[in-house]
Amino acid sequence: MRTAYYLGSGIRQGFSRLRLAVYLWLIILIFSLIAIAPLTSVIRINLGHFHLSQPALMPFGLHLVEIFMANDNILKPYLSLLLIIILLLGLLSVFLNAGVFGRMVKPEKKVAFRDFLDDGCRHFCQFFLAVLISLPFFLLILAFYRLLVWPVNAWTSQTASQWPVIIGSNLRMLVLILLWTVFKLFFDLVRIIIVFESKKVIPVIRTALSFSKKQFFKLWALFLIVGFGFLMISIVFLLVGRLFSTGSLAGVLIIIILGQAYIFFRLFTKLVLIGLETTYYSVNR
Amino acid sequence: MIKTKSTYLISLLVFFFFLAVKLFPMNDERQVKYDLSVELLPATQTLQAKETIVWTNLTRDYIPDIQLHLYWNAFKNELSTLAREARREKLFKRISLKKGEWGWIKITSLTTGDGEDLMPAASFISPDEPANPEDQTVLKVGLPEPIRPGQSITLMLEFQSKVPRSGLRTGNYKDGFFISQWFPKPGVYEEGNGWNCHEYHLDSEFFADFADFRVKITVPENFVVGACGEEVERTVDPARGEATYTYVQQNIHDFAWTASPRFIKVEKMFNADEEVTQEEYREMAELLDLSPEEIKLPDVRMILLIEKQHKNQIQRHFKALRAALKYYGLWYGPYPYRTITMVDPPFRTGSGGMEYPTMFTAGTSVILAKDILSPESVIIHEFGHGYWYGMVANNEFEEAWLDEGINTYSTGKVVAKAYGPGKMPMRFNGLPLTWFIDLPAIYDWQLDRLVSPSVAELDPIVTASWKFYNSASYGLNVYYRASTCLNTLERYLGEKTMARIMRVFQMKYRFKHPKTDDFIRVANEVSGRDLSWFFQEFFLGARKFDYGIASVDTREKPRKLQGIFDDLPVKNSNKGNLEPAKNKEKNYEIAITLRRYGQARIGPEEKLGLRVEFEDGSMETREWDGQTRWVRFNFEKPCKVKFAVLDPDFIWLVDSNFSNNSYSASGSRSRILALCSTLFLWPMQNLLLTISSIL
Repeated sequence: MRTAYYLGSGIRQGFSRLRLAVYLWLIILIFSLIAIAPLTSVIRINLGHFHLSQPALMPFGLHLVEIFMANDNILKPYLSLLLIIILLLGLLSVFLNAGVFGRMVKPEKKVAFRDFLDDGCRHFCQFFLAVLISLPFFLLILAFYRLLVWPVNAWTSQTASQWPVIIGSNLRMLVLILLWTVFKLFFDLVRIIIVFESKKVIPVIRTALSFSKKQFFKLWALFLIVGFGFLMISIVFLLVGRLFSTGSLAGVLIIIILGQAYIFFRLFTKLVLIGLETTYYSVNR
Repeated sequence: MIKTKSTYLISLLVFFFFLAVKLFPMNDERQVKYDLSVELLPATQTLQAKETIVWTNLTRDYIPDIQLHLYWNAFKNELSTLAREARREKLFKRISLKKGEWGWIKITSLTTGDGEDLMPAASFISPDEPANPEDQTVLKVGLPEPIRPGQSITLMLEFQSKVPRSGLRTGNYKDGFFISQWFPKPGVYEEGNGWNCHEYHLDSEFFADFADFRVKITVPENFVVGACGEEVERTVDPARGEATYTYVQQNIHDFAWTASPRFIKVEKMFNADEEVTQEEYREMAELLDLSPEEIKLPDVRMILLIEKQHKNQIQRHFKALRAALKYYGLWYGPYPYRTITMVDPPFRTGSGGMEYPTMFTAGTSVILAKDILSPESVIIHEFGHGYWYGMVANNEFEEAWLDEGINTYSTGKVVAKAYGPGKMPMRFNGLPLTWFIDLPAIYDWQLDRLVSPSVAELDPIVTASWKFYNSASYGLNVYYRASTCLNTLERYLGEKTMARIMRVFQMKYRFKHPKTDDFIRVANEVSGRDLSWFFQEFFLGARKFDYGIASVDTREKPRKLQGIFDDLPVKNSNKGNLEPAKNKEKNYEIAITLRRYGQARIGPEEKLGLRVEFEDGSMETREWDGQTRWVRFNFEKPCKVKFAVLDPDFIWLVDSNFSNNSYSASGSRSRILALCSTLFLWPMQNLLLTISSIL
């Protein structure tokens, strides 16, 4: 029942603050369009007036490979541009997360863009500091990962069959994902507490650690339930997307709409998680 | 008189026949004979072996020494030529081994048949540049007397070998062994040029003379053994817990074998009468201009050694092998041996995807997808090497494309014929990627031509293996670029002519060592054309081939021309007006510019076709000799261009960029939109979203 309560609370908060998802979707879209601009430019120049013969020499997608191989001199400069965009977005994400957490933790359901920006400004420094402090924690997680998968590695290195190798590889991936959820959940808590109690980062981390001693696994279980639901719905998106062909304009438009709906769904899931975590913390702190 | 003349003529013919036989020995006069006896000691991963080599001098030279390949010394330490090349290319991990995992071969006794000790006169040499005195893969043995023309010498060797943990193409893992390039093997003596006996390089394969083999292999009783040739005897010694298998095979130039207790051995027959219909024989006979009897296929015993973990794939393996036997046989010539052994290599021995005469290794995964042609593609390719390398035995060190390129081309044809297009065998954590994303089904030749241009300007296809710029240039040039050039040649000459070229080349050079010049000669003879320019440009050159439509300019033809004309202007004159005022139809001046972007050109007598379709449905064609850097074709039409295509029949597959070979007024907007959104925008959004979530 409590599970249903927390999940329900998270979903309700997600819906009530859906505007945040819209803001994030727009910002990600703009950055993505800038990031892919050189690629689309190459495609437009090379394929803009391309004539697809009947029968075709090869699947249309292979022409894409062909033109990028013919223009491979743009690869290095493009990767540099992409890195810069990622770094810029990274910095902006800290600000955006500050705004999102700020609005989600506040009891007011209405979200105004100005308030969102205000929260971003108010909590930016602490959130940025939290990111820096999270790096050694991340390295600890990686070290812990290596320790956890050591038995799997020992098992697969001695096997005479391929099955353990495949199972081991997927097990390692699963362990890494689970550890990543632990890391993410902990630092979501840190951010929630920063906003909730308006404290500095170091005391917040102490509070988060103290809270985690008693409550972490229950909260993590809720997190994983949401994660599992997200995975299932993602598979549904994938299967529905495969039903449509890119051969016609209508099919292309449907796939584009579905794709954007999925991005929006990801952002909505983020809000649900924050809402769930906030509710859990406020009830159990 | 007539009888006397006939008798004289016949006598003359017989004389010349015997003279020819003397000068050009027939295939059944084998130059080399091997008699080997080897014991595998699994506990120490070693071999103890005895070898007798009978080597005959079929040249007119007096040969003072003999050079032997000792390939496994390439895995002895980091000083070998192979290890150094691997380190230079940062591929050292491919062969780097821990203590106890290195491999080697050591000759403990080397005498003539008369018992004369040859070890004092034996020394390692480094015949390739740059010289590497530390390499021990070529042993030069001085002989007490030169081998005279026609004389045979018998060498008796005893040697020990340590099986590397997982060297290139040979190795062991736990109790699974794949043993190749394991015995001292003479190089090839070339009259006037001496020994052709190269060091073992990272990117090279092998070269040896055709020989008769008799090999006895002793292994623990519970091991299942597979080898080149036919098993003719098996004895079991229960007291020692050992079994000895004897294999024989004539007319092959290498011998490999494998042993593992985890194999399942399955035998089936390729019954030609069941596999090939009369209609297929007739069609093929017509294509090759031969009689159906000449192309009839023999029955072949197929032996499969497959790991127990893959036993549910037995049918897939045999289906692919049947297709290979059928189509290689029909197109290139009947398979001349009685058996073919197909091996699913022992796990982690690094021996998959490799060919040996009458045997090959494939390799598969426990999880397969139906729409991915793996292991089928590998099976067909490695079997095909039995034709290109096994029978037509080119020097793989110096002209690797003659087997790898030709076989890649052949494999693509067989796979297309037997299976159609297939999806790429990419995996994610051991699972087929097609389970998650929809990949297009493509033909081999489509992929081959995509990857070829990346190395077109690095090295010519005909380059010695160890002299390529790097391993990528070697692989992409000798396999895929060579295959693309052959596919281009086929489109250029037509399927019929190309089929005959390949058949003639196979049958003429079976059990011989042809070179690139021999292939060119056959191509010229069969096609009746001088194709030297083709091979010079595409095989012996390193230039990119790229012709394209640079622009299509359309402007409305002005009805009234400005300027001064011949007569002075007279009132009410029509000069300057191109048409009567009441005619409202538009006319367009269209200029289509073609360009040669690459350095490579089509042949001096050849033409590139341009097809232009207009909005009114009319069509025009033009031809260009492609020699200059550009050309412009002008049209005057009452409508605009709908589309234009350069090389509309897609002959020049070597063209590095087919995307610039066409022009369409409307373009492929919906496809471009789909590409941009599904391949770029959506994944980029997900990537940026993931990054922002972490922070």
